[in-house]
Amino acid sequence: MKTVEEIRAAIEAALPGAGVEIVSNPSVSGQHSLRLRPSHAVAVAKFLRDDAELALDFLSNATGVDWPDKEVTEKVKVTRTVRKTVDGVEQDAEETVEEARKRVEPGCLEAVYHLFSVARGHGPVVIRMKTVNRTDQVELPSLTPVWRSAEFQEREIFDLYGIVFSGHPDLRRLLMWEGFKDHPMRRDYVEPDDFEYEPTAHDEVLKRAVAHQAKQEAAGTVAGAAGVGSGVAAGREGKGAGA
Amino acid sequence: MAVDEGLKIELGKQGVLVTTIEELYNWGRKNSVWPMQFGLACCAIEMIATTMARYDLARFGAEVFRPSPRQADLMIISGTVTKKMAPQVVRLYNQMAEPRYVIAMGACAISGGPFKEGYNVLKGIDRYIPVDVHIPGCPPRPEALIQAFMLLQKKIDGQHLTGPDRPRFLDAEAQGEFPVPVQGEHDLEPASNPGVWTVPVVIR
Amino acid sequence: MASNPYFSLAVLFVAALGFGLTPLALAWLWAKVFSPAKPNAVKNAIYECGLVSKGDAWMQFRSAYYLYAIIFLIFDVEAVFLLPFAVAFTGLGAAACGAMLVFVLLLIEGLAWAWAKGVLTWA
Repeated sequence: MKTVEEIRAAIEAALPGAGVEIVSNPSVSGQHSLRLRPSHAVAVAKFLRDDAELALDFLSNATGVDWPDKEVTEKVKVTRTVRKTVDGVEQDAEETVEEARKRVEPGCLEAVYHLFSVARGHGPVVIRMKTVNRTDQVELPSLTPVWRSAEFQEREIFDLYGIVFSGHPDLRRLLMWEGFKDHPMRRDYVEPDDFEYEPTAHDEVLKRAVAHQAKQEAAGTVAGAAGVGSGVAAGREGKGAGA
Repeated sequence: MAVDEGLKIELGKQGVLVTTIEELYNWGRKNSVWPMQFGLACCAIEMIATTMARYDLARFGAEVFRPSPRQADLMIISGTVTKKMAPQVVRLYNQMAEPRYVIAMGACAISGGPFKEGYNVLKGIDRYIPVDVHIPGCPPRPEALIQAFMLLQKKIDGQHLTGPDRPRFLDAEAQGEFPVPVQGEHDLEPASNPGVWTVPVVIR
Repeated sequence: MASNPYFSLAVLFVAALGFGLTPLALAWLWAKVFSPAKPNAVKNAIYECGLVSKGDAWMQFRSAYYLYAIIFLIFDVEAVFLLPFAVAFTGLGAAACGAMLVFVLLLIEGLAWAWAKGVLTWA
């Protein structure tokens, strides 16, 4: 099979200006992927499927990735002019200071497709597409017209990540119901607070169960049973700290 | 009302059968419990195995799986109840004719099981409908289902026709309808039916 | 009275009535004494698959559907007569064969008429 560089060259030769980037994978598997521009994605996908040498006729898997907004702290060397008194003489001196700057890298949503060729017996070729952001510009072109097997998987991505696939024949929620507002696989998904009864709570779940109880106690709606639970939970925590 | 047990046995030896309406009624009911024919997940495979020749649920008079809730007495919740499926399950339970019984089969049906902290799985069907027998296991073996079934038969056998401890379906005051949860914007609403399920006491 | 020839019939009639009505009466009595009826909207819903039924069952069909049903009868009746005809074929004379052919031709004529009228074009 061709390497990703060769595939990219083939795409560029066939569709000039497609703007395909290579996303390298530093892990042992070395499964590098191709990032398509949403504007050219369908044309590139058609090329990948119809090209005689690649013949990627089988989409085995489509999935979503959520990249949340990231706060990046980077150290920047800044040169400043400072007035100093050196040997009794006041003078301007240049001084280099390291300054920590924080900036927020906007997140995005990504759809990843794994392609194989049944005809030529090779694969996978990984292609991906990125949305502009995570909130309002979340449209990507649907690849269902190219590979029919993408239909349900794109519906699932739409359901769980909230990527809107334009050109999809039947874009409805798949796993959750109509009228559900959240996208459960996003990193910032807030689960419903139903931690009132956790018989074997530990770690994260125990924390949330205790938080739930505190909230209920504050609201004054706590039953006797929950009180016992909170006492036991506190006891467990104490034991953990002692050990 | 009830006949003395010793006398009953003595009479039986003489070929005289003594019984009460209550006993006859319960005897008839417990030996013709017809389950509803539906499966929710992998536990359903074990349920099917239970009805097949090797385990043969027909020995207990329960081989007739009815495809309609109107004709069924027993609902076997065999498998994961997702939040998308829960309203349908509760609605089907409501459509069953009284007396009706529920066996929650497997870890998912009784608590959510391995999917408990997931976004789409109900943490036990007993939050919405009264469950008579819980079976743990993932999935429970057919023997476990048979044992649950025998427990249910024992329960049916012990029910009284009259008196303050008579079952729900004989009590005109007791509710007959269990509210069907609505699929809301973030979760099922309400998250549980307080008339059926209260937070259990945690014993550790 | 007992000498009346219809007396035994009357006895049987009463017994037959009792046979049907006694279980009904018992069931009614049982419900009256022990188990109260508790109907509700969910329980009385028509559709019993767990989902709420959408729309009305009183919808309109195209009238062409009924023409289809009538034309179906052509083939149906044909089959009913052709099967015994085929079974008894070797023992039949030329006249019987001719009569059958006339019958089939009549049906074919009906089909041809419907076809010419454009009934068979669905859309």
